[in-house]
Amino acid sequence: MDFTLSPVNKMVKKAAKDFCERIVPEIDAYMAEHKDYPPDLMEKFAKASMLGFDVPKEYGGLETTNLNLILLIEEFGKTASTCFLPLLMNNSVAETICHWGSEEVKKKFVPPLCDGSAWATMAFTEPDTGSDPKMLTTTAQPDGDDFIINGCKRFISMANKPGYGVFICKDLSLAGESQDSTAFIIDKSSEGISFSGHYDLTGLDGADTCDVYFNNVRVPKENILGKQGQGFNVLLRWISGERIQQAAGMVGVGQAAVEESKKYSLQRNVNGMPMGYMQGFYWMLGEMKVKVDACRLMVYNAVLRQDAGKSFDTASAEVKVFTTPLIQEVTRMGVQFHGSYGYSKEYLIEKLFRIAMHQGVVASSLEINKTIVGMTALMSK
Amino acid sequence: MKIIVSIKQVPNVTKVKWDEDGSLIRAGLPTIINPVDKNAIEAALQLKEKHGGEVTVVSMGPGQVESALREALCMGADKAIQLTDRKFAGADTWATSYTIGCAIEKIGDYDLVITGVEAMDGNTAQVGPQMAEYLKLPLLSYAVGLEAEGNKVRIKQKLGDYERTLETETPALVTVEKEINNYRVTPIDKILEAFEKDIPVWGVDDIGADLVHLGLKGSPTKLRKVYSPKIEKGQVEMLDGTPEDIARQVVGKLNDKFLI
Repeated sequence: MDFTLSPVNKMVKKAAKDFCERIVPEIDAYMAEHKDYPPDLMEKFAKASMLGFDVPKEYGGLETTNLNLILLIEEFGKTASTCFLPLLMNNSVAETICHWGSEEVKKKFVPPLCDGSAWATMAFTEPDTGSDPKMLTTTAQPDGDDFIINGCKRFISMANKPGYGVFICKDLSLAGESQDSTAFIIDKSSEGISFSGHYDLTGLDGADTCDVYFNNVRVPKENILGKQGQGFNVLLRWISGERIQQAAGMVGVGQAAVEESKKYSLQRNVNGMPMGYMQGFYWMLGEMKVKVDACRLMVYNAVLRQDAGKSFDTASAEVKVFTTPLIQEVTRMGVQFHGSYGYSKEYLIEKLFRIAMHQGVVASSLEINKTIVGMTALMSK
Repeated sequence: MKIIVSIKQVPNVTKVKWDEDGSLIRAGLPTIINPVDKNAIEAALQLKEKHGGEVTVVSMGPGQVESALREALCMGADKAIQLTDRKFAGADTWATSYTIGCAIEKIGDYDLVITGVEAMDGNTAQVGPQMAEYLKLPLLSYAVGLEAEGNKVRIKQKLGDYERTLETETPALVTVEKEINNYRVTPIDKILEAFEKDIPVWGVDDIGADLVHLGLKGSPTKLRKVYSPKIEKGQVEMLDGTPEDIARQVVGKLNDKFLI
C-alpha cells in the first residue's frame, strides 16, 4: 500500500498548519475565557473551505477524499485545541446525510452544514442505555404526518448550537420488531427542546457537551434519515468514519507530545549538556516516536479503505483499539519527560495528556471496539 | 478589474548559509513565496472579490518556481505564468524588472500590477519601481491601504512616521507592505482547483525580450562581495521636536558638514 502524499495532500496539510498557527490561538483564547466555542467558529471553517470534504459539490461539498480530511485533522490535533470537534461533526454528519438521505433531505440539510450556517450534532447516548439500541428510552411516537419525540440524550456535543442533529430514537411504530430504532434529523431550535449546562470535562477544554431534553417535540416524517428501523445502522456507519477522524486528531496529539518533548530535552541542560542526549531520554523519545508513527499508518490504512469504497467498519475499530492506549501512553511519557513541569498548565504536554484521555470513552468506548474486532475475528471464515 | 501580481520565490532565510563572498548559498534550501508577495496576492484577491475581474500571477525563476505559482493559485489566483529560461539566470534587479515587464506587456490589457515592496533575500525594493519605469506606469509604493474605484486607484502610503494618500488613474503599479492585510489561509476548495490548472512556461522567445538586457550579461550591477561594514564609534546627539523639526535640524547639520 502506497502512503506517499500527493502535492494536493501536502498543500492541504500546509493550509491546515497555517490555520492552526494563525487562527486557532484566537479561537482557543475565546474558549478558555467563555468555556464554549466562538459563535463565528463555523464561519471561520467555511471561509477556509474546511467543511464538506466527502460531500458532492452539488450539495455544497468539496467532493474530495477522507484522506485529505484526516491530514487536516492531524494538524489540529497538534494544537490540543477542542475546536476540531465541530469541524469533524459538520463533515461527518453531512456525509452521513448524503449517504442515507432522500434527495429532498440532502438538498435541505446538507448545504447549511457545508457553508457553516448550521452546527451538526449526532446523538445516541442516553443516561442508562449503553451501546444496545434495544435499550433506547428516547421515543418517537407517530402522530399524523409527524413524530412526537420525548426523552433525554446525554453527553451531546454542539447540541445547543443552531443547526440540525441526527437523533437515534426508539420508534414506537416498530414495537415488537427486531430493529426498532429510527434516525431523525431534528432542528435543534424546535419547540420543546431544552438543554442542561455544559459538562466540565477532564480534557476537551471549552467543549459544550450537554444533555438534551425532548418534551413533545414534533418532527415531520420527511425528516427520517434512511428507513424506519435503520437508526442503529446509521449510527454504526457514521461512527466508523468518526473513529478514524478522531484517531487522526489523536495522532496529531501524539506527534505534538514527541515534538514538545524533543524541544524540552534540547532546552533543559543537565550537567552542562541538553538532557535529550542522555540515553534514558532519547530511548524514551524513540519509543514515543515509533508508537506515533505506527498509529499514523493504522489511520492511513483505514482511511484509504474508506476512500476506496471498501468495508472499513472493522478497520476503523482496529484503529481505535490500537491507537487509544498507544497515544495515551505517549502523552503520559511526555509528561514524565517534562518532569514536574509536565504536570503544570504552563506546558502544552499537560493539555495533550488530558485530551488524549477522551479517545477511549468518546465516539464509542475502547472496549466496544475490542468486541467488534474480536467478534469479527471469531466469525470470519 | 484585471490585476497582475508579480511574486518571487525566495529561500527560507531562517535556514540560510553564505559563501565566502557573502552570496547566499541557495542549493538545498527550502523555498517559500516571499512573504510580502503573499500580501500582494491577498490585496489583488480582495480587489477582485469587490470589483470582479481576474488575478494573474507571474514569477521568474528556475523550474522550482512552479511550486510558488501553484501556491498562489491555491490562494485563489485565476492564472499563473512561469518565466523560466536559462538566459534569465543571474539577473540583477534591472534585468529582472525588464524580464517581468516584458511578460506583463505580453499579458497586456491590465488595470493594475501589484507586488510586494521588497524580497526578503535581497531587500533592495528596486524591482517594483523599475517595472513601473519600464512599463511607464504611475508608481504607488509602500502601500498599507489600497482601494479602487472606476479607473482610479488610491493607496495609503506609509513612510516611517509619515502617512499620506496617493491617487492615480489605472493602469498603475502598486508595491505593498505587509501591514496592508493578513493574507488568507489557503482555502481547501481553491487547492483542489489549483492542481487542475496548467501553468504555461514562457521563455525569451515567448516574451519577445532583447537578449542584451537579460540575465547576468544584461545586468548592470555586479556583486563583488557582501560584508558587514566596520562600525566606528562616534558622538551621538539626540534631537528634540516634532518629526518635521528633527528632519530640518538633520538637514541643517548635514549641510553644515557639506555632506549634502
